[in-house]
Order: sequence, then structure tokens, then C-alpha cells
Amino acid sequence: MNFISTIQNVFRGRTLATIGMIWLCVILVAALAAPIFAPFDPLDIDPIGRLQEPSWAHFFGTDHFGRDTFSRSIYGARMTVVIGLGSVVFALIIGGLIGMLSAYFTRLGHVLMRIVDVLMAFPALLLALVLMTLLERSVTNTIIVIGIVYATTTARILFGMTLKLKGEVFVDAAKCSGAGHSSILFRHILPNLISPLLVQASFIFAFAQLQAAALDFLGLGLPPEIPSWGNMLSEERIYVTRAPWLLLFPGILIIISVFSINLVGDAMRDSIDPRFKDDIAGV
Amino acid sequence: MLAYTFKRLLALIPTLLAASVLIFLFVHLIPGDPAAILLGDTATPEEIAELTHAMGLDRSLITQYFLWLGNVLQGDFGTSIFFRIPVLSVIADGAETSILLASMTMIWIMLIGIPIGILAATRHGSWVDQIASGGAMLFASIPTFWLGLYLILIFAVGLGWFPSSGFPSISDEGGLWNIRYLLLPSLTLAAPNAALIIRLVRASMLDVQREDHVRTARAKGLHPTKVAIRHVFRNAMISVAAAFGFTFAALISEAVVTETVFSLPGIGRLVVQSILRRDYPVIQGVILVIVCLYMIINLLVDLTYARLDPRVSLK
Amino acid sequence: MNLRNWIRSTALASSMLALSSAAFADGVLRYATVGEPPSLDQQVVTSDLATTIAHHMFEGLYTFNASNSPVPLLASGDKISDDGKTITIALRKGVKFHNGQKMTSADVLASLKRWGEFGSRGSLLFSNVESVDANGDYEITIKLKTPFGPWKNLMAFINGGPAIYPASVIEGKGKEPIAPKDYIGTGPYKFNEWLPNRHVELVRFDDYSSPDGEADGYAGKRVAEFDALRFIPVSDVGTRVAGVRAGDYDYAESIPGDLFEELDKDASIATILNGGPIFGLVFMNSKDGPLKENFALRRAIQSAINKVPALQIAIGPEKLWRSNGSFLPEGNVWYTDAGIENFSKGDAEGAKTMAAAAGYKGDPIKFMVSTNYPFHYDTAIVYTKQLAQAGFNIDLQVYDWATLIEKRAQPDQWDLFFTHHGFVPDPILISVMNDNYPGWWNTPEKAALKAKFTATSDPAERKAIWSEIQALIYEQVPTMKTGDVYTYNIASSKLKGLGEATLIWPSFWNVSK
Repeated sequence: MNFISTIQNVFRGRTLATIGMIWLCVILVAALAAPIFAPFDPLDIDPIGRLQEPSWAHFFGTDHFGRDTFSRSIYGARMTVVIGLGSVVFALIIGGLIGMLSAYFTRLGHVLMRIVDVLMAFPALLLALVLMTLLERSVTNTIIVIGIVYATTTARILFGMTLKLKGEVFVDAAKCSGAGHSSILFRHILPNLISPLLVQASFIFAFAQLQAAALDFLGLGLPPEIPSWGNMLSEERIYVTRAPWLLLFPGILIIISVFSINLVGDAMRDSIDPRFKDDIAGV
Repeated sequence: MLAYTFKRLLALIPTLLAASVLIFLFVHLIPGDPAAILLGDTATPEEIAELTHAMGLDRSLITQYFLWLGNVLQGDFGTSIFFRIPVLSVIADGAETSILLASMTMIWIMLIGIPIGILAATRHGSWVDQIASGGAMLFASIPTFWLGLYLILIFAVGLGWFPSSGFPSISDEGGLWNIRYLLLPSLTLAAPNAALIIRLVRASMLDVQREDHVRTARAKGLHPTKVAIRHVFRNAMISVAAAFGFTFAALISEAVVTETVFSLPGIGRLVVQSILRRDYPVIQGVILVIVCLYMIINLLVDLTYARLDPRVSLK
Repeated sequence: MNLRNWIRSTALASSMLALSSAAFADGVLRYATVGEPPSLDQQVVTSDLATTIAHHMFEGLYTFNASNSPVPLLASGDKISDDGKTITIALRKGVKFHNGQKMTSADVLASLKRWGEFGSRGSLLFSNVESVDANGDYEITIKLKTPFGPWKNLMAFINGGPAIYPASVIEGKGKEPIAPKDYIGTGPYKFNEWLPNRHVELVRFDDYSSPDGEADGYAGKRVAEFDALRFIPVSDVGTRVAGVRAGDYDYAESIPGDLFEELDKDASIATILNGGPIFGLVFMNSKDGPLKENFALRRAIQSAINKVPALQIAIGPEKLWRSNGSFLPEGNVWYTDAGIENFSKGDAEGAKTMAAAAGYKGDPIKFMVSTNYPFHYDTAIVYTKQLAQAGFNIDLQVYDWATLIEKRAQPDQWDLFFTHHGFVPDPILISVMNDNYPGWWNTPEKAALKAKFTATSDPAERKAIWSEIQALIYEQVPTMKTGDVYTYNIASSKLKGLGEATLIWPSFWNVSK
């Protein structure tokens, strides 16, 4: 099938990218089946068994609440997936629509792209930080804020790509055959943009992880009672000398995951339409 | 060229105005009351209301916005609610740290990023290239605060080679030698950014290598190293220089996490602290300055492109 | 101003490079603070950090000795009339302000008046003051409406207290904190500079006139051994600890309990316990919501909580906390066991029955807590779990401190909120005694006892009335105490003269390195 051969293309001869993809699947499974894999309730407090070293009972040790770090790490995978996918979907839909519509309807584009310009004048983390203070700390708000930040870049990129496609023969052909605006945009132009969009999605996913971890660290991200890798680092960072494993494991999990996403994204980028290669930023 | 520059500058004004409205709104919609924070735990609601009035924070948002904008246009960014000194001098104080930190980081990025990037491109496909590209991507995946915490632990607390935190001004005792305080933070910041530059240098070199004039040069029998430096590197540098511009602008504000870990008195941490203190004039002032800086660097990069690369049309 | 610094620094840079930086630092104490104080105006600001810095510059008429009794500082003595309504205070002569002016009764008068009207704790005393007058340059007279027991404690408590400023600075000043240029006091150190995010620096005041006598708590001789005290904001606690270990700071405050044992063992670091414990308080809303006037329901909540696990988690080593229900610690004159049998029952089943009897039907109870103080948040998490086990539907709302302060002023926004309280030498200073403090505990029973409490100055009688008030607090539950926490600071072991513990705020006169 076409789909499978594409995937084969992407990963053929790229051992690292394949390992990365496998790791991402592991995370996805961990996130979906967290209650099955986690040996303990991630929120269970134990005032006696605090700050334990890694052992067979607690693979990653326990934190200052006496909670099992391994179980929290598994539940943390959930937030990684939720924040990553959430921001990607938000950024791609909002940013994608703005970009495509702006390129297609020039007048509307004038207004919309100016708004995008204004938002892009704010450095990403600064914008996220201010917006998070404005809203309350919650999962939805974190997704929205990170989504807004990357919706602007997505809008710019899709604007450029749609402009390129707008002048192509097949669009004119569709127009001549009487296709409506929405049909041209979504039936004819959009399918050509799917693969660059997927690459863009992988980079947003990776950036979103680092951005969310930074927000958690500054005390402005996910609510602290939710186990996420960023929150675990943020909450336990004062114990770095007393219980170094509390920072080691979540930190390594973040690094491996972001690295994996980047590897996969990179592999996908090498196999997309050369027309759009310059448009995609990424690592 | 001059007309083009002027046109671009003119186009900045509406964007800047819109940005100023956004900044003002963001800041004033944040819940929390500066008067209540200033007066502390025992203040009565009447006392808080009185101070709010004295600070002019009970006027309508529209009035406050235009007052602020009017003053800013005259170069007056107001007075910090918290420090009770002009906002501009608060910003200037933070700017010293931020600019020095960003510059030092840029030096690391250049020293690390450019040679490795060139090496990877000239040995395209070899194990050197794979290690360089893979390593760069790995470094780009490390959260900066995590790296910073471990650098402090190893090099400041463990080995005692460098100071752990803080940054006394270089006009203070110690003079320029105080730069050593910025060593670990700048390395922390450089890690992910150098990684990006490595990949960018490599990619642009590879792109340029495929272009016609390079092929011609090579066909003429010029030495490969000469080709690499004279033809490939110089052309690849256009996009790398642009990336440097953006990176520098971004470093000023995005260093916030690193500044927090190392307790540096920079612009980024000033924003976070001022938000926690609800010091409206400072938040507004800093963000406005950062946004201006961002836009100007953006413009400069575009103009450089326009000058260096004749393919960019001046429309 | 900044540009000039820049040019100067570049010009001096090369010559400076040759010199070792250590040569400069000897005479400077580098103190790593949790953040920046809101202001150093002692009369209106109650932040502990502000006092830690400012009590080196500003002094009051009285201060506390090591046993927490008020003794003269800028005063030299006092007399009280037989009816207890007229207080005459003599002032020490030859005291100079940092601006060179001599301190006289005019300055004291102006300072007391501004504090009485606008000071944070001024109204506690001045609502009962008829007049304040000067008799000549070195004596003042305070006339009270009724005898008032805690007057000297209030005068000696510098945090939000009557610091003495020059009349020329303070005249016409209101509630708004005075600006740094007006930081002029009589203390052993004077204000030098406040660089935002960088440091607050005080330098030795050469014309300081010290009180006599052996150093005893904050009383007695004060010698400024350092050239300068530099208070550097280092908000990240890990960085504060690392900084003292690496020798970048001499002293750091507010260190987590869990690091105590490790730091105590470290020979290069001294741990200094704070003498007066702080305590967490969970306030209940007396103005609005399900807890308003429903004392039975409040008692049910109180019964559900076992304070010990929260202290174990939030603080750590047992040396640093006491599960103590008395508002003032054991050993203090105000210690009383009235009502404390209800302090930490941890009886989920009993609480369930009590709540049902009080008409609780599982409505959400909004509990606000801030993440700015980890011990608030940790404690709140444990309590929320315990309350859930007892069938309470707790809606935990986590904010930053600034938002929490704004929300708690609005009665319809919350039912419970978490804060903490510093050690105070007189129970009248505890926030729950203030009728306007959020929570707004203002029952007739409280009002009657409070009036009795302030009307007498007989120590035994005041102690007995305080016991009754504490019992009432456990019955009406306007607030729940979470236990005593002995915070600690760390210092380089090179510092001399620090002692084992600080009284309330660390002080650095008679300290050197």
C-alpha cells in the first residue's frame, strides 16, 4: 500500500530514526495503559517512605511526598502525549486555516497575516509566559498557549506554501471545471500539503515538550498536582543533592523523547516534496 | 534600497501599535493587585483601594493605555511600582547582564557551531557527519534548566571551578573578570543553540554545494578546500548570519529559564519577577523593548538578505 | 547613569583584571535572600525579608532581648502613671540619624503619629491612644484612653512597627511606603543602594551611637563589623544552597528542611535555627459560603486532619517541627494547652459523622493555596487527601501568591486558604485577632474577650484571657494552625558571632568574618 511504502521509505536505512519511532510507540502505550504498567498510584502519599533510593520496589525511587517516581513517570507519559498532540492539533488547525485562507483570499490575508505578524513579534517563551499568567494553570490552557505560539509559525509556513500552489496548473484546472473555493482549498490544495504538515507537526511536538517543561519549571505550566515530567523536575529540583535520581530519570525521559521526535521528524523531512523543504524550519 | 528600507520601517508602525495594545491588555488582565502586594498581609481593603487610587490604577483601561502610550512616545516608560525608580533604569540594569550573556553565548555558538557544521558538510555522509548531526540533535533535546542544574552541581559545587550563580556588574569590584560568572550560564544556553547552528551551517553548505557556480569552480579544478571556503561557506553564511540575528534577539528574552537557574539579574528574569510582583510598568516596558528589538533585528536581517541576495525582490 | 557605569567599567577593566576579586570581598557580607523585599519602610511593610534587611538601618524605641522581653533601644527609660493611662518615655541623647541630624522628640513624635495612622500594626495601639506629646527635646508622653497591656511589645516589634525616622522625612507621608532615598534611620548600617534584581546594599554608619550593655538578643551593644551588608536576591533555593557551598554567598535564608541533616554534617557550613517558629494557618471564610457561621462543620474539618504526616512531608527532620496546637511555642510565656486536644485528631470517621450532623451534603469546598511557598503546597496536598477520606469534597485551587492575595479579599471566591505566620512576641499581633483580616472572624464572643485582653496590663490576667481566646479559636475555628516550623538558615562557617539561633530575624551587628 502507498501508506506503508511511504513509511518504509522514511525509515529505510535509518536505524536511529527507527529506534526513535519505537520509543515513541513505547511512550504512547505507556500513556494509554498507565494504570496497568504503574505499580503504584502516582498520587499516593507515604510520609514514612520519602526520598527512597531506587530499589526493586521503587525502580526510580520515591519523591519527597513518598510517591513512586516510576509510576509517576509512566503517568507523566500521558501528559507528554496530551500536551504534544494537543498543541500540534491546535497549532495545525488554527495556524493552518489562517495560513491557507490568507493565501487564497488575498484581502482577508492582509488582515489575518498582520495579526500573525504582531504575535510573531513576541518571542515564543515570553508570549507563552505572559499568556499562562493571564489564564489559570490547567492542561487545556497549557495546550492553548503553546498552540497559539506555534500556530503563528504554522500560519506563516502554510501561507507561503499555499501561495506557491495557488499558481499551479492543477488549481487553475479545478477552477475551470467549476470547483468552489472550499473544494479547491481542501480537495486540491490541502492533500499536497499533508506531508510537509506532518513534518511541521513533529517539530511542534518536540518544541512543545521543551516549552511545557520550561513553563512547569517556572511554575506557570500544568497544575502542580498533575504528574508530568516537567512538574517532577520542577517540584523535586531542590533535592538534587540529596536525591539526584529524582531529577535524573524525568530529565532523561524528556531528552530521549524529544530526541526521538526530532529523529523521526528529520527522517520525514528528507523524504518530502523538495518544493517545500525550505519552508519547514525545525531542528 | 533606501526607499525599500523606508517603506519597511513605515510598515513597522502599525504592527508596533497593535503590539503595544496587546501588551497593555495582557498585563492589565492578569489577576492580582500591585497595591495589595506592596502593602502586605495586614493591609485593609480601604488601604489597598487608597493606594490603588494613588497609583492611578483605578482609572479606565483606555485612559491608562493612552497615558502610557503618550509617555512612552516621549521616552518616559513610567516608574516601577515595586522599585520606585524609572522603568528605563530597571531595564538598563537588566540589559547589561542580558547583552553580555547573549554575546558570550553567541561566541560559544560560533566557536562550536560553525567549525563542526562545516566539518559535517564537507564530510557529508561520513561517520563524522553522523556523529556531528546526531550529537547536535541530542543537545537540542536537553531542557536548559536541567543542563544548568547539573553544570552547577558539577563545576561550581563539586569542582569549584566557576561561580555558581549571580552576576555582579562589570562596573562593580572585580571588573571585567566578573564575566566568569556568565561562563556556566552561557554554556547552558549555547548547548541547544549551537546545535541548531551546526545543523543550519551543514544544511546551507550542502545546499550551496549543489548550486551551479560551485560546480563550475570545482570543474575548473580549484582545490576542494578553496572551493569550500571561498564559494560554499561565503554563500552559506547569508542564511547563517540571519539565524545569528534571530538567535541573539531570542537569547535576550528566552534566557529566562537559565537566568532563573543561575539567579542572574537579566531581562528574562526581570519579566518573570515583575509578573509575580504585578509591577505593571516594568512588565509593559520590558516586553515593549523586547518586541521592538525583535522587530528591528527582523528588519535588519531582511534588509541584509535583500542586499546580499539579488534574488530577493525589493517589492 | 547606567551608561556612565559602562564607560567607567570599560576604562577600568584592564587595571581591575590585575587585581584579585577576593581582596574586595572581605568586608562585605553577602546574604542570599529568597527574593526582593516590597519596600524597606518598616512602619508599613510586614515582609520578614524587609525586616531582616531594614532592622540594620532603622531602630525603634524598644527592642527584644533574648527572652523576648521588650527593653529600651532608642528610649532610655519610661514611667507609667498609677491609673495606667499615661506613659512617659525618656529618649537616649546623642543619637544621630544617617543624614547627620540629631534625633529628638520631634522625630519620635512624627514617626509615632505616622505609624499610628498608617503603620501596619499602628492601629492596634493607636486606636486606644488619646494623644502623644513632646516634653522638651528628649521626652514624650503618650496618653491612653484605657490602660493597654501590650503597648511595649507593640513598640518593640519592628516588623510593621514604629521605626523612628527623621521628622523631615516622614512629615506628610501616608500609607504608601517611603522611597529608598528617604531610608534614613539611626541603625548601625545605613542605606547605600538598591539595584533591582542585583542587590540591596547597606554600609557601616560611622557615627552610630550604640546602646550600652552586653549583647542580649537584639538588645545591648551593636557593632558594625562589616564594611557593607549586601542582600542578593537568589530566588531558586537550590542555587542558594549551591552558592553558599561554592563560597559565593556567606549566608542564605529559607532552606528546605530535607537538606538539614546533610548541611548540618558539612563542616564548611553552619546551620542556624530561627528561634521563633513560624506556623501555617488555614483560614476559614466567616463572611460567605458553606463555612459561614457553621462552627460545627468547621470543627468536623478540623477533626479530619492529622497534622503530623503533613509536617513530615513538608518539613522533614523532626528537629525542625513540633505538632504543637498552642499558638505560641512551648517554653514561651504565652504557651497554653487550652483547646489543643482538638488540634490534630485525624479522625476521618468521626469527622464524617460530625459533618453530616452539621448538614454537610458534599458541596465543594474551595481551598486556595499558593505554590510560591512549597511548604504551603505540600501541606495542602496532604490535607486535601485526608479531607477527601473523611468525605469532604475539596476543590483545591492553586495560584501564585499575588493572585491568592487578590482572591482572598473577595469573600465569594474561597472557603479555605493557606498562609503562614511569623513568630510574634504577643498574641495580639496574630493575624486572626485582626477583625479585617481575610476570613473576617468577628463574632461577639471574640469581641468580648479581645476587649478584656487589651484592657489589662497584668501579665497573669492577660495570660488567662489568652487561654480563653485560644479555646474559642478551637471551638469556632476561624483558622487552623498546622504546627510549629523551625526554619533555618545556613552560613559559611567562616562567619563569627552568629550564635546557634536567631531570635526572629537574623542580625549582623557583632558579626564578622
